[in-house]
Amino acid sequence: MKADLPIDPQEDVLAKAQAQAKAENKSLGQTIWHEIKHDKIALISLIILTAILLAAFISPFFLNQAESGRVNFGQIYKPPSAEFWLGTDRGGRDIFTQLMIGARNSITIGVAVTVIAGFLGLMIGLISGYFGGKVDFVIMRSIDFLMVLPTLMLIIVFVTIVPKFTVWSFIGIMSILLWFGKARLIRSRALAERELDYVNASKTLGTPHWKIMLFEVFPNLSSLVIVNMTLALAGNIGLETGLTFLGFGLPESTPSLGTLINYASHPDVMENKWWVWLPASLLILVVMLCINYVGQAIKRASDARQRLA
Amino acid sequence: MLTFTLRRILVMIPQLLLLSIIIFLLAKAMPGDALTGAFQGNPDANAQHIEEIREKMGLNDPWYQQYGRWVTNFVQGDMGMSYVHKQKVTSLLAGRLGNTVILSLATMITIYLLSIPLGIIAGRWHNSWADKLIVTYNYVALATPVFVFALILLFVFGFYLSWFPISGSVDIRAGDGWEHFVSKAKHLVLPTLSGAIIGTVGTIQYLRNDIIDTKLKDFVKTARAKGVPEGRVYTRHILRNSLLPIAAFMGYEITLLITGSVFIESIYSYPGLGQLFIQSIQTRDFTVVSALVMISGTAVIVGTMLSDIILSIVDPRIRID
Amino acid sequence: MSLLKVNDLKVHFPIRGGFLQRVVDQVRATDGISFEIQPGETYGLVGESGCGKTTTGRAVIGLNHVTSGEILFEGKDLAKLRGKEKRLHTRDIQMIFQDPYSSLNVRKRVLDIVAEPLRNFERMSPDEERKKVQALIERVGLNPEAIYRYPHQFSGGQRQRIGIARALTLNPKLIVADEPVSALDVSVQAQVLNFMQDIQKEFNLSYLFISHDLGVIQHLCDRMGIMYRGRLVEEGTAEEIYTNPQHLYTKRLISAIPEMDPTLRLEKTHLRQAINDEYRTGYDENFDENGRPFDLKKITETHSVSRP
Repeated sequence: MKADLPIDPQEDVLAKAQAQAKAENKSLGQTIWHEIKHDKIALISLIILTAILLAAFISPFFLNQAESGRVNFGQIYKPPSAEFWLGTDRGGRDIFTQLMIGARNSITIGVAVTVIAGFLGLMIGLISGYFGGKVDFVIMRSIDFLMVLPTLMLIIVFVTIVPKFTVWSFIGIMSILLWFGKARLIRSRALAERELDYVNASKTLGTPHWKIMLFEVFPNLSSLVIVNMTLALAGNIGLETGLTFLGFGLPESTPSLGTLINYASHPDVMENKWWVWLPASLLILVVMLCINYVGQAIKRASDARQRLA
Repeated sequence: MLTFTLRRILVMIPQLLLLSIIIFLLAKAMPGDALTGAFQGNPDANAQHIEEIREKMGLNDPWYQQYGRWVTNFVQGDMGMSYVHKQKVTSLLAGRLGNTVILSLATMITIYLLSIPLGIIAGRWHNSWADKLIVTYNYVALATPVFVFALILLFVFGFYLSWFPISGSVDIRAGDGWEHFVSKAKHLVLPTLSGAIIGTVGTIQYLRNDIIDTKLKDFVKTARAKGVPEGRVYTRHILRNSLLPIAAFMGYEITLLITGSVFIESIYSYPGLGQLFIQSIQTRDFTVVSALVMISGTAVIVGTMLSDIILSIVDPRIRID
Repeated sequence: MSLLKVNDLKVHFPIRGGFLQRVVDQVRATDGISFEIQPGETYGLVGESGCGKTTTGRAVIGLNHVTSGEILFEGKDLAKLRGKEKRLHTRDIQMIFQDPYSSLNVRKRVLDIVAEPLRNFERMSPDEERKKVQALIERVGLNPEAIYRYPHQFSGGQRQRIGIARALTLNPKLIVADEPVSALDVSVQAQVLNFMQDIQKEFNLSYLFISHDLGVIQHLCDRMGIMYRGRLVEEGTAEEIYTNPQHLYTKRLISAIPEMDPTLRLEKTHLRQAINDEYRTGYDENFDENGRPFDLKKITETHSVSRP
């Protein structure tokens, strides 16, 4: 072999093969993107969702939070105007600023709960389904029991009796009570996967159980997990705002979209000051609808039979 | 069959036991006990006197003894005293239970009235414009949180159009008999629709998918090949299979109804158990709270069990264990 | 010393039933089996589906728990080894699976599939690893560029070769081949089988070859055992079994091989008739009152038959 040859010819061929293989094997991400592109509603939803996310996460840098958070009785319940795009509340605070901060908090908490509950459900479901037998029996009987608990009521009870209630304890309480269904779903798929010979092969090759679970079985469940997490995200945002609306969600210091909607429990605000609560309600609706549409597109992408593209 | 039913009923016993233990421990963690209410605002009560009564009532016993007493009393219908309302929890609940049951029944019936025809239409003529409309409705319903929807309905039909009353379960000025009934019905409309319109998702989706799947099965093709008219193919062959499990799903819906009732009853100030739950939590009336959680939990456990059993009769494949 | 010696191996699965899901009975999938494999030898296990041959293979490699009996590999009982020692022996015994579709993880590239055992047992730089995998892939007759592809881009025969490459990675001494060609096209079967014979010499392998296909076994195996209802009914060299079957079940099995020569067909039909008559009259001499085959008795140095 010539020493001055820049690339080993075999290496070159290999690099080409690698690139070609990459092009032929669309990753899950690419398949999802492809599917979304072919579904107009999903594409529009994605655009709206991105816009809302950008607005919610970037606007707090431009809006003067201290200024808008201060109570000013000179401008109580002002209707929308050029100065206050969405009017003001009972403390004379700007609704638009609260809407953006609320959206950011609600989405962040929704994501956090989805990820933590999803992780718990995934791990417990994987362990239960992969090992099967007695482990599975014990875990599944426990989940059968947990599934019949009145979740919403328990969350509310926990929220009221937790000694120091913070955003983190709220996320923790929700996560701990929301993983059961996911675990059951993952378990049923893991149970089917473990019967496949590639799992047996890994066992005979001396791969430890935890590695088989995480690097062999899990990739085969990843599309299921992504679909389930996306749809759960919408549900969790709804639940968080709902709880905050009832007064058992985020503490006052961290306003959520539910905080704004909560003002509507006053009939006068409900009837005459619609700008206080209606934008937040509509924003939740739009966010959840968009997430659901994108989620449905992902679901189709993960199942070759349903793909539109 | 019988074995499955018996075993399923047996499973319920540890479930109820666990539920009661969890609730009892939660109740212990809640501030206040059976005496908090009795002596609140009573200036004559002194600490020593209260301590004597505590001892007498067994509030200083170990937790399992207290638990035993609590469960025994609970089963016998004695759920303790409300701190706030100064009356027996049982009588407090009795006045409200009826309202919640009526609301839940009305919601359930409306859900089925809406979802069964829509599901059948979507499944039978799938990919038609009607199907697309129904699917879109389903997506929107799935995405809408119940409290947002209830608020918007209340705003539009209660405040803006003033078609329906905005709170309560009956107008106090309404007389007896017919007038009372009409007033009750009017008060029910909005809360029922708030739960029902977005509660149809599961049933429509199930029916639509099931009909689309069944349409392609061989026994349906055989029926067509025999010359069975299209309408009868549906009524006799497809729907008979698809509709049966829906009856069984009713028990599973109880969880949804309970969640819904908490939101809907507090938005419409509808005097039912859901509203009582929120009020009691806010006023720290924890004997009422634990009684309510226990009742809801039991309802879910029993409902799920009934559904499991009915489903196992309707569809023998479910009976795996 | 033999490489593998299986002593009175039993694998039972509980049947649960009744109200409390108690164990009411056992499925005796493998019910007392003994055989030996010498280094470099191919031992065939034949039998109808459900006779327990796969269970036996899976017990040898450790995928099924062992109810009782010994599996001595180089003198050590695999069923009793734990932890590190057991792991050491997994290197020496590998498996080729029946279904080339489910035995390769569809989410992984060929490189990652074949390198999996290397990553478990050896510390190699990515470059060394790739070179080793390429060499193996070339050895099984695939293009070295194939390592960046995914399993679904290969045909069944090619997939099975990938499976073989994976099994060869750790230089095992024994390979359990569970119906390795039954999921393949007939045209590809011979290719894969011949290839397996080639690498047997090259890598000095022993095979435990499990199959229901008598033709394949005859072609490949030095010695073989016939299984029926979880037990061996006859054991011997392939030659002995094919030319001089002793047990009724073996006779029936051998006579079921289709006859290619049309002039011999009538003769074969008579043979089958005769065996059928023997089955009706001589059942008790071959099976005990529960329909279970008796223990093996030696009739020559290498040939044993189940006899009362």
